Amino acid sequence: MSRYLDKSILEINELLKQKKIRSIDLVNECFERIEENEELNAFITLNKEEALREAQALDDMEVDNVLFGIPIAIKDNILTRNLRTTCASHMLDNFIPIYDATVVTKIKEKHMIIIGKTNMDEFAMGSTSRTSYFGAPHNPWNTNKITGGSSGGSAACVSANLVPFALGSDTGGSIRQPASYCGIVGMKPTYGRVSRYGLVAFASSLDQIGTMTKTVYDNALLLNAISGIDLNDLTSADREVEDFTRKIGEDISGMKIAVPNYFMSDIVSNEIREKIESVIDVLKESGCKIDYIDIKYLENAVSLYQIIAMGEASSNLARFDGIRYGFSKENPSDIEDLYYGSREEGFGEEVKRRIMVGSYLLSGDNAKKYYDKALSIRSDIRTSFLKAFENYDLIVGPTTTTTAYDIDSDMSDPLKTFMDDVLVIPVNMAGLPGLNLPIGFSKDNMPIGMHIIGNSFDEATIYKLASFLEKKLNLDLCPKGGNSYE
Amino acid sequence: MSNYIPTIGIEVHVELKTNTKIFSPSRNGYGMSANTLVNEIDLGYPGTLPLINREVLNIAIKAAKVLHCNIRKEMHFDRKNYFYPDNPKNYQITQARTPIGYDGYVEIEVDGKIKKIEIEEMHIEEDTCKSAHRKNVTLLDFNRAGVPLIEIVTKPCINSSKEAMLYIEKLRETLLYANISDCKIEEGSMRCDCNVSIRKSEDSPFGTKVEVKNIGSISNVGLSVEKEIVRQTELYDKGESFKEQTRRFDSKLNDTVLMRIKETGNDYRYFPEPDIPYVYLTDEMINKVTSTIPLLPDERRELYKGRNISKINIEKIIANKSLSDFLNNFLEEKIDFQVASNLLLGDISSYLNKEGKIITDTMLDNERFIDLVNRSSTRELTSKNIKEILVDLLESDKTLDEIIKDKGINNINDESVVKDIVLQVLAENEESVRDYLEGHDRALKYLMGQVMKISKGSADPLLASDLLKEFLDKKK
Amino acid sequence: MDEILTREEVLHVADLAKIRIKEEEMEKYQKELKIIFNDIEKINEVEGYDDDIIIAPFSSEARLRDDEVERHIEIESTLKNVPRHSGNYIEVPVVINE
Repeated sequence: MSRYLDKSILEINELLKQKKIRSIDLVNECFERIEENEELNAFITLNKEEALREAQALDDMEVDNVLFGIPIAIKDNILTRNLRTTCASHMLDNFIPIYDATVVTKIKEKHMIIIGKTNMDEFAMGSTSRTSYFGAPHNPWNTNKITGGSSGGSAACVSANLVPFALGSDTGGSIRQPASYCGIVGMKPTYGRVSRYGLVAFASSLDQIGTMTKTVYDNALLLNAISGIDLNDLTSADREVEDFTRKIGEDISGMKIAVPNYFMSDIVSNEIREKIESVIDVLKESGCKIDYIDIKYLENAVSLYQIIAMGEASSNLARFDGIRYGFSKENPSDIEDLYYGSREEGFGEEVKRRIMVGSYLLSGDNAKKYYDKALSIRSDIRTSFLKAFENYDLIVGPTTTTTAYDIDSDMSDPLKTFMDDVLVIPVNMAGLPGLNLPIGFSKDNMPIGMHIIGNSFDEATIYKLASFLEKKLNLDLCPKGGNSYE
Repeated sequence: MSNYIPTIGIEVHVELKTNTKIFSPSRNGYGMSANTLVNEIDLGYPGTLPLINREVLNIAIKAAKVLHCNIRKEMHFDRKNYFYPDNPKNYQITQARTPIGYDGYVEIEVDGKIKKIEIEEMHIEEDTCKSAHRKNVTLLDFNRAGVPLIEIVTKPCINSSKEAMLYIEKLRETLLYANISDCKIEEGSMRCDCNVSIRKSEDSPFGTKVEVKNIGSISNVGLSVEKEIVRQTELYDKGESFKEQTRRFDSKLNDTVLMRIKETGNDYRYFPEPDIPYVYLTDEMINKVTSTIPLLPDERRELYKGRNISKINIEKIIANKSLSDFLNNFLEEKIDFQVASNLLLGDISSYLNKEGKIITDTMLDNERFIDLVNRSSTRELTSKNIKEILVDLLESDKTLDEIIKDKGINNINDESVVKDIVLQVLAENEESVRDYLEGHDRALKYLMGQVMKISKGSADPLLASDLLKEFLDKKK
Repeated sequence: MDEILTREEVLHVADLAKIRIKEEEMEKYQKELKIIFNDIEKINEVEGYDDDIIIAPFSSEARLRDDEVERHIEIESTLKNVPRHSGNYIEVPVVINE
């Protein structure tokens, strides 16, 4: 069995250019690895036939970019034309999209090969991927542990080296938190950096598609490919497409970095705090100036998230009514039965609960009492982050309060899912870019991640620091204590 | 029956004349095969996002201007959440918090007095899809989903069915003239909902509100308001109260019919639309639109009045925008405008109606029309002549002289020639002359007929009758 | 604060969301929804914030599209995902009260 996928993207690209390997070799390798690791349950739908056909067709083409012929996995809430897109829900388990998401179009333009659609929390609602209609994916570092979520399948397949690249989406940490649990690099770009057209909306003002990879450099390369203004998305930013790798390798001495006190408070486990402190020491030694600061309303971000995300979700998911697409109750007695029956059966528990909460929060006087208030405090959080960035280049802290926990742990506390994301949610509130970088392991050998937050549209500086640390820490990030394919 | 004061507020929706829909680049069209003018946005597909059609903003600015509204330069959209099969996303994108126009008015003339109907606000929103109800199923056609609408909401300042009708008529006329909508109530491109309540006196609190929805014509607006006032009065007189409710006008029953009781008030769960950033209107944009606003009906009325067109003719011309536009082409000419308006409303309108055309479909140009008006006012051409030449005038580019020649029209308006004929007739019909002198006016008609007979119909009738009277009077 | 929502309160929010609650799920929702509602109440303890709101972290104003017809989808594609249709029409159980 070949092991090209263990090489860096630049090496693979060189081999492809020299025609020493073909795209189809990479694709075959992906499917072999996926089949060997079926127990990870990382995928909902595999695109095998089409992927092989497309890879074959690349044989006669010139390798025109660094991502040419490289396999990629796509989170199953990003629409792929003619390829089933389920959002891990019974509601869409037979849904065949009639158009491609803008990011998918961009990936196809680069001649990347879509391997399949990855497992996730139903409609991206969850922090463990256990709300998936198709069962939870497993953490490659310990299959008894959760992957985190909602982009758990994407995190797992990259972590286990099944596919070199994956796309995820992040509404309240859904890229960064599973990236942390699975020990990979996960970037949630600035709100507006990447088009949301074709991403099944959970909370429109928070959702952002992002990149999940093994290395920082690869991550920046993939972000290069999917960024940019999209005339189909009014919230996509009108910004020049920049090269996100351009600051990688620059000297980091003199950088000013802030650490919010709340991120290092006792909500975070000792083990993780210690690990972060040790990395902060590395940064100090490397010439960075570190300050501990306060950012207003960070501790309220979860409440804001509950209100804003669930409010928007209740509206965004109203369209699933069994009329134009998706699951539809059989032989409905009347129109109300069609609505109630389709939504009762089509949605899972977490989704139903969140839609109900969201509807309640927007109803009658509650819109004023909760929603307007949340939008006001949200504005203050953003302002207070932007103020910090007047004095600092980056903000860092832990990505999660604990490492990945047991997959069969109790799910009965409805607040647990929000608390898992307490450190990552504020970044969505502020619309800023944030990245998870693996920085080490816990005593039980589960990955620990550092959260690096940048100023608006300053992903390049995040990559600069992340890449420095990646090199400095030089971790072995192959699950099961080494390269599992040796 | 006691006397109550009615309070009426009216909400009008009009569809805007654009090429494409408001939030999607599919065609805004009518009468096409079902579900062919749609894309994934109109169907509310997962992952779709709205786009804003610039022209909708332009037209809405224009509407705000002609309704004398203030224009909000910074605005956003909101979602109105409700489940209904005609609502593809189960929320409608509208403007609840920041309507584009506010605090405007429309002037109506009630019993000779001008009344300002105050416009509370006007906003932009998307239309729903069209439903057709069969026995067991409802069929949905999303071609209409996403057609741009503006909704115009009055304050509760209308006090009678007459005012309600005058308001709708005036609003319709204004929107039509400003080219905002074709305002076809029957086709649904203009829809009226009336909120009617009654109360004892100006000081008493407002009575329970009843909404009458989707009224199909202007006269039915008047009827539904009237019927509601009577119905509510009877209930109050009997000491009965009723719940806030929605009714519709049934044109067969000629009365309003209950649709549903509003149990707890509608809970639309409005919140700001996060998929659309703020929209900023610049002065440049507003000025550009303002400069394209054509003359409005009231402005035209003033101009026509100043040109001595009769009130009846003015209203008839205003009722037909294309004729009014045509007439406006030569308002600066020195012609007899009453004659011009008679020509337009008379033979020309008959021709247009018969052919199903509007005036711009014909070959009639300004120059030949002015020629026609002048020859008609100097009586060089009789109304009979005009009937003869009209088709050629409207369907060819021949000059009036050419057409007259072709038709062999040879009018006798030479006074000396007509005088000879008149004298001949008087001499040959002594009995009729006597009858006339004894007071039998009918004799004049007979004599006139003789003149026309001898002249083979080509004597100028006005000239002939003047001369006849002149000579007859001399015999008195 | 009450420990659980009343049945009526649960049914009210379920109606807003058009979701049917099975009898055996009722108790669970009464408890879980109350826990979340209580947690959300925390927002009312927050003070000192500005009244300005943020709808989303927009980076620019809305771009405006020219009024030109760009695209439709084929009726066949539309109907492919439609659960019930009759000819070109999408079908639902009859809706009264129009």
